[in-house]
Amino acid sequence: MHPLITTRRAFVRGTASGIALLGAAGPGLLGGCNRSAASHTMIPGDQAHLSEHLGFFSVDEPTITRVMAELTARGADAADLYFQHSRDNSITMEDGIISRASSSVDQGVGLRVVVGDQTGYAFTEDLSLESMLGAARTAASIAHGSKAVAPIAYEHGKRSNFYALKQPWSEVGVARKLPRIEHLNALARAADPAVDKVSVSWADGEELVVIVDMHGKIHTDMRPMTRIWCSVTAKKNGVTQANSANLAGRHGFEWYTDERLAFVANEAVKRTMILFEARRPPAGELPVVLAAGASGILLHEAIGHGMEADFNRKGTSIYASMLGKKVAPDFVTIVDDATQPGERGALNVDDEGNATEKTVLVDHGVMASYLHDSISARHYGRKSTGSGRRESFRHAPLARMRSTYMENGPHTREEIIASVKKGIIAETFTNGQVQIGAGDFTFYIKNGWLIEDGKITAPIKDINIIGNGPEALRNVTMVGNDTKLDFGGWTCGKDGQSVPVSQGMPTTLVSKMTVGGENA
Amino acid sequence: MPDSITTTPAAELLHSADAAVDIARKAGAQDAWASVSRDRSINYAFRDGKIEKVEESTSRGLGISLYVDGRYSSHSTTDLRPDRLKSFITEAVALTRALQPDPHRKIPDPALFADRPTLDLERLDPTVAAVTREQREAWCAEMDARAHADKRVISAESGLFSGQSLGASASSNGFSGTWEGGYLGFSCTATVREGEDKRPEGSAVAVGRFLAGLPEPGKVADKALRHAVERLGSTKGPTIRATMVVDPEAAVSLIARALGPASAAAIQQGRSYWAGKIGQPLLGDRLTITDDPLIPRGLGSRHFDGEGISAKRIPIVENGVVRNLYVDTYYGRKLGMAPTTGSSSNRVVALGDKNLTELLAEAGSGIYVTSWLGGNSDPTTGDFSLGLRGHLIENGKVGAPIGEMNVTGNLPALYKSLVALGNDPYPYSSLRAPTLVFENVQFSGT
Repeated sequence: MHPLITTRRAFVRGTASGIALLGAAGPGLLGGCNRSAASHTMIPGDQAHLSEHLGFFSVDEPTITRVMAELTARGADAADLYFQHSRDNSITMEDGIISRASSSVDQGVGLRVVVGDQTGYAFTEDLSLESMLGAARTAASIAHGSKAVAPIAYEHGKRSNFYALKQPWSEVGVARKLPRIEHLNALARAADPAVDKVSVSWADGEELVVIVDMHGKIHTDMRPMTRIWCSVTAKKNGVTQANSANLAGRHGFEWYTDERLAFVANEAVKRTMILFEARRPPAGELPVVLAAGASGILLHEAIGHGMEADFNRKGTSIYASMLGKKVAPDFVTIVDDATQPGERGALNVDDEGNATEKTVLVDHGVMASYLHDSISARHYGRKSTGSGRRESFRHAPLARMRSTYMENGPHTREEIIASVKKGIIAETFTNGQVQIGAGDFTFYIKNGWLIEDGKITAPIKDINIIGNGPEALRNVTMVGNDTKLDFGGWTCGKDGQSVPVSQGMPTTLVSKMTVGGENA
Repeated sequence: MPDSITTTPAAELLHSADAAVDIARKAGAQDAWASVSRDRSINYAFRDGKIEKVEESTSRGLGISLYVDGRYSSHSTTDLRPDRLKSFITEAVALTRALQPDPHRKIPDPALFADRPTLDLERLDPTVAAVTREQREAWCAEMDARAHADKRVISAESGLFSGQSLGASASSNGFSGTWEGGYLGFSCTATVREGEDKRPEGSAVAVGRFLAGLPEPGKVADKALRHAVERLGSTKGPTIRATMVVDPEAAVSLIARALGPASAAAIQQGRSYWAGKIGQPLLGDRLTITDDPLIPRGLGSRHFDGEGISAKRIPIVENGVVRNLYVDTYYGRKLGMAPTTGSSSNRVVALGDKNLTELLAEAGSGIYVTSWLGGNSDPTTGDFSLGLRGHLIENGKVGAPIGEMNVTGNLPALYKSLVALGNDPYPYSSLRAPTLVFENVQFSGT
């Protein structure tokens, strides 16, 4: 509630251009949706009639027609209304006590007018006709043409279902969540006598979106999101170490089985205890083995952002002239996929109402496709890849990643490790970043291993890796057959907007990257 | 769109906050703290000869913290329709009852609200709200033209962002306060072509509470273009131990990183290398940092913090010795420490007496860091590793551009090797840091 929050948001926008960030979002950063105890206003379910979805926002078809007419009064190539209602809940246990809980409701409509590659945008949290018309006039001021025809009939678009829940989060009371949080806390505390403190954060929620375009197409989606986060501090011989692990996805309450809670508790404690023995690797250029799973952070930074079509349309990406070119060995295929069920990066329909898909970025070593929103799709004369995403109704959509991963290759993890004379394995990560035009990218390794003469010899910690995107792709020399998506949650930031994403990787060898480290 | 910021008096927001506290009390909360705010923002993005995006909005929200039968929760909503708000708060009180009692949780002590400063912090420049659409477009066009002054420029984005906010807080134990604030900033990023594929970029930003005091927008574009051109021919530097000179803008985040775990919350949770260090040397012997909320026109200036604690200057570090921590009510109680403030305002670094040219001449050789790329640090141990770009220091001057390098070490150890500070604080941040010079720093490169 401090007044500087808005200012800070603007600073990010003012300075982050061309730089994209990725982070393992802390409990406070979870994008998504939720709801408080039990409310009187139920979010309409998947099968609900269109009028129910509109009715939830206290609007109807004639109201939308009036707002759309105002929005397109000066002409538009595209225009849309993005109604969103989000409910988020979080609960924190510290020192064995449920020390706090929070809930939030966020609701509003974003109004967008697109003329060529120019965008006018406004939003309002006040859904009265007067406020929406005012916002529509503001957004429309980007255009200077004659009025477009507003829709007279509406069609409710079909969509996929990659995250159906047995029970919506709005029906799960806090009393059912507390025992799960206490159970995870107890598991982590009991896992090692050196464990000094455990904190558990829980987040759940859902958001209803209704997207109306200027041709009368209406898309609706109900997007759940949840995460449990376990942080551990341990003390041994006067030294303190802390680390954490989390599980995240578009899942419901039933997802939190005893088995999953045991897994995340064990993972958090294991990642913490190994730090007592971990050291820094030598500084300089080394072969880097990317462990299966979270190492997909390399793809996200080294290639994913550079393949977002807006950067290429503007000519500011290092990949702007590489489409159709060979950029990696034949056994490298990289995709960005909205269709992985239950993933943070799963999307039934994108935030412009376009159908989503599995997009192949690199097909057997050849640059295949950018990630398109509708502006770049029009620019390039091709179909949108369903990659138009936005943080909330407060933002215009941008081309963004969803679940980014590499398909399986021909090698095994064992032969990859055995092939390295002196190098490191990167296993867990906290964050990454890329400069789109220069192609330099980084990711920060929290836990990893040293390899000497083909064998794992010691744990390592806290080092940054820096490389150049096209060079790193060229230097992929081996790809394993064990691809998997990371179980933890990731949040991607671009142009001041955060969206949930997923990432994955098979065990992969990059022959040379610059490894932060310390030499004697 | 009607400008609700200027048409909504603060008294009206304060009334809404009072009303929310009232609803909470009637629903059974013993204590409650509510804040209501209105924010208006305008963002222009201009690219290569024309407007690319215009965003304008007025936003509102209410947040409330509840203390119910020894239990605590906090809530926020943007749905302020009276009937919805009433049921939202009533439900939130019911939710709080389902939690566990926490003996450390108490509403902030009203004694901390006393002696609120009254000096004019000059947080709002009325001329910012009066800037016309034509003026905004003209400034953007001016930046765009200047950013394209070099024929190697592929594309340039110029931005103009501004906003104003108005807010009020009220509590069940007598706190009542309002605030207003505004800002305006220019930003520019230029991308230049290098060889077949590389497209290095340079950025610059200037932001302030008052329009007077900001540079001409064209100068911001000049700086962005200069930064982009300086990247041409960048190579990977060597793996060495060497002197590191950090530019003031990059120094802001390096100091913020060191201060990150300087809170009662981090210490109580066992995640801070500041634990047990009050009165002890921690960050070498040259660094002095004061949290100063009372600087007129400061980006972080305030009369009271988020808990209503009256603002005062707080020394954090004096010549490397820890003097105070950021202590809020809750974690202060857990640690048995008196609250100072739970959140930083303006963090002011005591300056040295030399400028960058003199400091580079003294260094002779090493690496001059102009910006960071990624990286992180462990708040518990202080271990850090950061990606960087910048220049070699050759013969005491800025030399060839370098990039794709890391610097790795431990924050307390790094600050022990701080040998000099510049007289050139970065003006566009609430953290005012000058050029920093460190000796014997580990770089990774070729």
